[in-house]
Amino acid sequence: MSDKHEPAPMVNEVSDFEVLEMAVRELAIEKGLFSAEDHRRWTEYVHTLGPLPAARLVAKAWLDPAYKKLAVTDGVKASLQVGVDWINSPPTGFGTPSDYCALRVLEDTPKLKHVVVCTLCSCYPRPILGQSPEWYRTPNYRRRLVRWPRQVLAEFGLQLDPDVEIRVADSNQKTRYIVLPVRPAGTEGWTEDQLTAIVTRDCLIGVAVPKPGVTANAKRPVRPAVHPVHHSH
Amino acid sequence: MSTSKHDRTHHAKKATGIGDPQCFKGEAGKAKFKVGDRVRVKDLSDVFYSRTQTYPRGAVGTVTVLVYESPAPEDEAWDNTDKSEWFYSVKFRQKDLWPDYPDLYANDTLETELSERWLEKA
Amino acid sequence: MSSPTRDRVLRHIDVVGQMQPALHKQTHAPAPDQIDHTLFRAYTRMPHDVGGEPDVPITWEEKEEEQWELNTFATCECLAWRGVWNAEERRRRQNVDLGQTQYLGLPYYGRWLLTAARIMVDKQYVTLTELVNKIDEVKKRHEHK
Repeated sequence: MSDKHEPAPMVNEVSDFEVLEMAVRELAIEKGLFSAEDHRRWTEYVHTLGPLPAARLVAKAWLDPAYKKLAVTDGVKASLQVGVDWINSPPTGFGTPSDYCALRVLEDTPKLKHVVVCTLCSCYPRPILGQSPEWYRTPNYRRRLVRWPRQVLAEFGLQLDPDVEIRVADSNQKTRYIVLPVRPAGTEGWTEDQLTAIVTRDCLIGVAVPKPGVTANAKRPVRPAVHPVHHSH
Repeated sequence: MSTSKHDRTHHAKKATGIGDPQCFKGEAGKAKFKVGDRVRVKDLSDVFYSRTQTYPRGAVGTVTVLVYESPAPEDEAWDNTDKSEWFYSVKFRQKDLWPDYPDLYANDTLETELSERWLEKA
Repeated sequence: MSSPTRDRVLRHIDVVGQMQPALHKQTHAPAPDQIDHTLFRAYTRMPHDVGGEPDVPITWEEKEEEQWELNTFATCECLAWRGVWNAEERRRRQNVDLGQTQYLGLPYYGRWLLTAARIMVDKQYVTLTELVNKIDEVKKRHEHK
């Protein structure tokens, strides 16, 4: 068959997904499963989330060995000091349904590099890191990172000496992970703010390492949305 | 209005102010394994659901952390939350997981969590 | 007699006629003795269990979020918040029950969305009739005049 089925462009139309999404939300509200206010509150809560608290946790850990010890042994308790209460911050009062309350902070050393994946779905520490990137959710990343980590990391621009232990953390249950990278050279005497700025989301997942002067994730293509999220904040 | 008979309040009652998996603490009883134990992943039937991946089954790893107690996902996925078991973080050598993993990177490891039913002493 | 509905219906039959399970060969409900342990495991696999499968290097991309995707995420979390399901029930339904074809055929949040619709029907909060009628109502609201 020579026919290559390309989906019809939906630029000015409502998509099947949008129709179903409205139907589901309206019915749920009509049936009293949750309220419109609940939905608005959750959307607002999601808008508060991003990688800055996790970055600050790392910066604090670099500056204070006692805090680093706490972070590595009790991630949930350590999160409180960067304003993230895994249990009480979410509207539920019992944590987010999908992210639970079991943060583990994985400490890198010069001989140990961690990198995180969820092979089964794309579990991610949203309350302290925000929403997951698209590439993290792909079957491709989930298939390959556990078996060919060095190849995948090389594609992200990270190559490590063979004697460094690369440890892949597959978050397949209730634990959620962030990586505590090694503090780079050239940051001596830096303030907490300065250190926070170089700990990017990619560093916290483990596909990048912090570098002085680098305060953003590596540039990648961005697939545009047809009807992107309205940012009213 | 809906006629559903499901109890929608039980998790909130159990976990509010406490957290999940914290709310299951103490329910699993004595842990079978301890940190440092060598354990083998069983190849149980995963018919309909599991959170135990195929790739570590049959492999031997080392328990690194007793992470928490919780209902097993096989049960939680049908809201059967009466029983909990211990969950373990287990570390494997990549060379023990993948036949083609290069000798050059023999130090590489992988860590993942398994509930007690999936483990036996190696 | 042709109409947009007839065109749509016939196009659907044509597309799904090309959608058949294949192990590099077609299969149409074999006899039991044709299924060995390997094939049984393959056909009863959990679609989400992909760790270690070979795949090719791809360009790693970011993606702008659709409004419907954020709405879907909030709907799913609100359903769990208010006790309709827990996240593990959602994952089981969304990442395994949906089946291999929809697992790789649909977008990530498309699966979240279908699964949210399904839980409401399965737990009898909504009848399928109500869901279908609501979909129809929403479509009519957005039809071009």
